[in-house]
Amino acid sequence: MPILEFKNVSKTYDNETKALNDVSFSIEEGEFVSIIGPSGAGKSTLLRCINRLVDASSGEIVFDGQDVTQMKNKELRKVRTKTGMIFQHYNLVDRLSVIENVLHGTLGKKSTFSGMIGHYTEEEKLRAFEILESLGLADQAYKRCDELSGGQKQRVGIARAIMQQPKLILCDEPIASLDPKSSKIIMDHLADINENQKITCIVNLHQVDVAMKYSERIIGVSDGKIVYDGTPEGLDQKTIHKIYQSKTSDLITDIGGEAHE
Amino acid sequence: MTDLAMPIYKKAENPTDISDKRIERGWNGKIRTAPHSKSNTAIKALMFSLVVITVYAFLTFDYKEIDFADAIMATLQNIKTVFLEPRLTRDTVLGMLYQLFVTFCLGILATIFGAIFAFFCSLFCARNISSPIIGGIIKSFIALIRAIPTVLWVLIFAVSAGLGSVAAVIGLTFHSFAYLTKMYSEAIEEVDEGTIEALRAMGANFWQIVFQAIVPSTITYLVAWTFMRFEINFTNAVAMGAAAGAGGIGFHLFMAGNFYFDLHEMGFLTYVVVIAVIVLESVSTKIKEKVK
Ligand SMILES: Nc1ncnc2c1ncn2[C@@H]1O[C@H](COP(=O)(O)OP(=O)(O)O)[C@@H](O)[C@H]1O
Ligand SMILES: [Mg+2]
Repeated sequence: MPILEFKNVSKTYDNETKALNDVSFSIEEGEFVSIIGPSGAGKSTLLRCINRLVDASSGEIVFDGQDVTQMKNKELRKVRTKTGMIFQHYNLVDRLSVIENVLHGTLGKKSTFSGMIGHYTEEEKLRAFEILESLGLADQAYKRCDELSGGQKQRVGIARAIMQQPKLILCDEPIASLDPKSSKIIMDHLADINENQKITCIVNLHQVDVAMKYSERIIGVSDGKIVYDGTPEGLDQKTIHKIYQSKTSDLITDIGGEAHE
Repeated sequence: MTDLAMPIYKKAENPTDISDKRIERGWNGKIRTAPHSKSNTAIKALMFSLVVITVYAFLTFDYKEIDFADAIMATLQNIKTVFLEPRLTRDTVLGMLYQLFVTFCLGILATIFGAIFAFFCSLFCARNISSPIIGGIIKSFIALIRAIPTVLWVLIFAVSAGLGSVAAVIGLTFHSFAYLTKMYSEAIEEVDEGTIEALRAMGANFWQIVFQAIVPSTITYLVAWTFMRFEINFTNAVAMGAAAGAGGIGFHLFMAGNFYFDLHEMGFLTYVVVIAVIVLESVSTKIKEKVK
């Protein structure tokens, strides 16, 4: 049974912008899927429909056996605890320490009050430290997040997501604001989490080469529609240009070495 | 693509032509530097008419038999008594410190009550965490409260509570509440939407988001605004002591000046108030540095 299934999902913002147009696909547990496409294609909307940061206008999204589109508060909160999310701009609470931000990953499972006052159990704190250690951040645990570099912040973002013990991690352009070296570290960590912890990953990317290198499967989105769904090997120049709606040799992401048509 | 081959900016054939068309000249033929706009003209006209009215007013005052030399001398004499010969004549130092403390407490009570109400209210008015409709309604209500001066609120509450410290505290609280709600909600609106979204995506609920993301991100501003309001409330409490009979140092100041005509004591009390305000100001600066 797939862990995630989109059935004819559409999303229209403000009754005019059609961000998703009859999207259907399904993802098996443990897959590492990249979603590529030009900006404005609807990649972020697609991810946000899964954890209901955005409400789909029509269609069904089945996650872990349940349709999320109809869920109300309590069920929705439960689904959200099972889906981690990583953002382009990290979205940490900058004035809190690294460890406090990582512990935020447990908020969804806590009572309102203990979450409010930031009361965490010793086990939770220990696990947070272990996660930070595995991401090479144990030394920074008591630093305030605004003292960190972009790459470090994104690793805190990953730690926070893992802290949730999610079934699925959604990454919305996780490396779009990072330099190549930090980008590689982040992508390696994501690949590692996917492989060793068997957490399904869906990653929005706009770097085609990164998508080809890391993922088992690539979904190409253009204008709110899926125009490619398959292996990285099957993704040829022609399809890339179709996704980005561009003419030959207009893209800087053209794969090196391959002849242009 | 052919579009891209076109130059984006057309070069001017003859540069002086273009700049000649762009240069604006005023009525005297000189080149303008301020933009020619209706509001600029309006401001100039307003300034001019204010000057005319002022001159006219001074020329037509009914001065009666005031002897200017005498009047000025008497005023200077009073100022000298108040500011150069301050002395406690009717009260003891301890008594005066107690009165200062009373005023201080009036200010603190009003600030604390106002701050608590304002904090919860601002959560429902900040655009990024509340519905725009509810926020809009609360904000216009708050604007209405702020538009009416503190003294009026005190007098309004005096109708039911009677003139005195209770009416003063309620009135001060009311205005502080409106002021702080505006400041707090503006601070909250500065919190990065992404951060709030991230916590929501993890399953955190409203109150968890408030205390784990919004409070830590805005605490400096909340503390700074609250203390700022306390300074205002302290000076207001001095005034209310006199105007609403709320007691404290303000009342004594009023009595000394208007009842006993004891200008020496009035001067002394004025200095005490000024010192208290300066102390508060420096404490507030310290606090702001600490919570950064
Ligand atoms: N909150 C929103 N309100 C209105 N339109 C939106 C909103 N978010 C996204 N859109 C529009 O939906 C389309 C898809 O956006 P998005 O999902 O952010 O694309 P991507 O992440 O691929 O760049 C764009 O045309 C965008 O302008
Ligand atoms: Mg996006």
